[in-house]
Amino acid sequence: MANNISALNNNKSPSAQVQLQASLKTSKWSLLKNQKQLVFMSVPLLIYILLFSYAPIWGWLMAFQNYKPAKSFFNQKWVGLQQFEYLFKDEAFIRDFVNTLCMSVINLVLSFVTAIILALLLNEIKNMFFKRTIQTISYLPHFLSWIIVCGIVSTCLSTEGGIVNEVLMALGIIDSPVLWLSEGKYFWGIVGAANVWKELGWNTIIYIAAIASIDPAQYEAAEMDGAGRFRKMWNVTLPGIKSTIIILLIMNIGRVMDAGFEIQYILGNGLVSDWSETIDIYVLKYGIKQFNYSLATAAGIIRSVISIVLLFAANFVAKKLGEERLI
Amino acid sequence: MLGKKRLVSLCLALAMMGSVMAGCGGASESKDSGTAPTTTADSKDAALDPIEISFFISDPGQAPTADNKIYKLIKEKLGVTCKFEFLVGDKDQKIGVMVAGGDYPDVVFVDTFTNPKFTGAGALIPLEDLIAKNAPNLQKHYEPYKNKVKDSNDGHFYVMPDYGVYYNDYQTNIWQGAAFWIQKAVLADAGYPQVKTLDQYFDLIEKYQAKYPEIDGQKTIGFEVLSDGWRDFCLKNPPEHLIGHPNDGQVVVDPDTNVAEFFWDKDYAKTYYKKLNDMYNKGLIDPETFTMNYDQYMAKLSSGRVLGTFDQFWNFSNADLTLKQQNKIERTWAPCAITLDESIQPYYQDRNVLNVNTGFAITTSCENPERVIKFFDTLVTEEWQRILGWGIEGEDYSVDSNGEFVRTPEQRKNYDDQSWRLQNMAYTLWYYAPKMEGSFADGNACTPGFQPKEFYASLSDYDKNFLKQYGYETWTQFLNEAPENRISYPAWGIDLVDGSAASMANTKIGEVGTKFLPKAILSKPADFDKVWDEYVTELHKCDIQAYLDRMNDQLKWRAENWK
Repeated sequence: MANNISALNNNKSPSAQVQLQASLKTSKWSLLKNQKQLVFMSVPLLIYILLFSYAPIWGWLMAFQNYKPAKSFFNQKWVGLQQFEYLFKDEAFIRDFVNTLCMSVINLVLSFVTAIILALLLNEIKNMFFKRTIQTISYLPHFLSWIIVCGIVSTCLSTEGGIVNEVLMALGIIDSPVLWLSEGKYFWGIVGAANVWKELGWNTIIYIAAIASIDPAQYEAAEMDGAGRFRKMWNVTLPGIKSTIIILLIMNIGRVMDAGFEIQYILGNGLVSDWSETIDIYVLKYGIKQFNYSLATAAGIIRSVISIVLLFAANFVAKKLGEERLI
Repeated sequence: MLGKKRLVSLCLALAMMGSVMAGCGGASESKDSGTAPTTTADSKDAALDPIEISFFISDPGQAPTADNKIYKLIKEKLGVTCKFEFLVGDKDQKIGVMVAGGDYPDVVFVDTFTNPKFTGAGALIPLEDLIAKNAPNLQKHYEPYKNKVKDSNDGHFYVMPDYGVYYNDYQTNIWQGAAFWIQKAVLADAGYPQVKTLDQYFDLIEKYQAKYPEIDGQKTIGFEVLSDGWRDFCLKNPPEHLIGHPNDGQVVVDPDTNVAEFFWDKDYAKTYYKKLNDMYNKGLIDPETFTMNYDQYMAKLSSGRVLGTFDQFWNFSNADLTLKQQNKIERTWAPCAITLDESIQPYYQDRNVLNVNTGFAITTSCENPERVIKFFDTLVTEEWQRILGWGIEGEDYSVDSNGEFVRTPEQRKNYDDQSWRLQNMAYTLWYYAPKMEGSFADGNACTPGFQPKEFYASLSDYDKNFLKQYGYETWTQFLNEAPENRISYPAWGIDLVDGSAASMANTKIGEVGTKFLPKAILSKPADFDKVWDEYVTELHKCDIQAYLDRMNDQLKWRAENWK
């Protein structure tokens, strides 16, 4: 807001500027007053955020207690950092932490790259009917629940007539069916691929919208300079949606500790547990199922803190590079 | 893994419905309920003021229809309306929310795992005085078990066990528990042999699979090992049975000293898993067995091409039912009580145990506990047990000249029909409430499934012949005779106390097993020893001692208090 005001100031005459600076405080208020409808409209959202994002932080206190349900706050036992100590000493937690991070990064990279590529390709299609059909088909899986998607995935990967094994065998790439879901080394790839299949079309929508807002004159100019399709993509479209990409990247980096839960929980099994278990599954197993809410909260805090750090780091880097940023 | 009480109760229930193909009377011919026996003094007393009792059932289920004839009768005679809430979603989460909010229905169904959560939060009211004052029938019902029903932590009686109280004589016809199951066609093809050892069992399967590589156009599967979620007992429990111990979960308990031993890392366990490893490499074990979930397992069993599995019958009885409905009786399974060698006495079949810590409990939110306990007291009378177990005389069954309860084929079919039940039976209430098992004073079994004639009449010709070949009359004869139970039996029902070192260790142990046992079975024969050693090393990193200490502590407590 301060930027806006100073920008405004530059257009004023020097005397008006002095006057304005003198009454900067009142001008802020008058600005608020001028925009009172907007302020008014944002109140419910503010309340929503306070209620659902800030009020629950109070519950973080549980992480420093040995919390027992149905006891009053003052009757809980305080245990300091014991829960955090347990987590950091627990090999399973460290392992799940690494898994979460790795699967998330894989998902992030894959979903970014594929969504941008598909958006660029769709943009080149001039036949509207064809374009819309592809768009619709590619974003429909987004509306399926993971339960269904996991069912489809495990059927496709089955050793008894699963399409993946059948095709690979027909092509002569493998001789006998591969047990895809019982080899840990394939698991991250399967999760990544399933994510791409499910979310690709959906992720594309925002890029297509961004591309639509690029001034057509830029393309015409590029054409005049003799740019071909790929030149235009590289020099016009991509720079045109760069700010969108960076904002989305920053937001997604903030969510990196959230690798999902359903797909790992449903497709995971004992054989691949070293690769498949995420922090969410850990929290369920050792926290909620054991009625050990304190441990679950502690794990949640660690996750939130890391997310915030990552978010600010990404934002900082974007700022240093002189790019768009979120905060 | 843990054997689980719920399982036993489930199996008993299924015993009564599924296998015996029992059936109550014609759905359409709904006569007026005047044929029901007259109310006892007790029920008249209780019928004074109409009341609604809310129940929470911690299993998914379907509510009875609004015009259900038995609930209608209960409302008429006893003035009680039953309102059921069934579980939707995750049990632990739902109960967690309930406990955190302190807002309960009048009556909750608890089990071994949820009981500590409710009692820990002080949500349940002690029943001993309430029953002594208001419920003479319940008092009598639980009198022989008055020590067993006590909570192991504070000595109060909170939960009314749903299964395990037997009256008079009874005969068990169907084995609901753990066994190595083998397809009947395999035994028939081999000339109805006795199967006594692990090697004999797999030999039969191997030969049959080689002879018939396909069943109904699909590949024959020799053996399945389910390891999905809490049903992983199929993977983890067999070794204890192979050395002649009953189902104590993940320990074997010495019957003389009453001391538990953790068996997963022992040599006899290794022998079993080595055998599975050999069988896998020979192509007997389904390669997908460790990645499939319970539904996929059921689908495979229901296809009729699975020759063997280790499981508890109630866990796959739906597959059995499906095959029977398709008239593929030869593809259903018979139990085998096998051991590592013939010198070991098998111990699969056990005597019925009281299902402690599992059943209805009254919560602190209940406004009129006396009325609720009187309701259950009335239900546990023979008169009401007959209505809940058999239905209405003349509609759902009839009494022949010898005073024996009999049913027509149509009545048997109805009894198996889920949607008919919702309309014509108070099944949920009967299933979870305190009940009589065994037989009534007049000699009739408490439910159709236990009536010997009903059982035999419901068998198919194939099964009748199959049993005849062995000279048996019931499926339980395939197993050992059940010896007297150890006082502290079964160990799997022991509460490890949520969040304790024992409970955390138990989760860790379970995880190591789920990870390494499949790995060992799927490894190349040469690598088996290496994977096994790795498994044992990982197991020993867990706090097994904390787990065993808690087990032994509780076993000792039971031996002293359950006499």
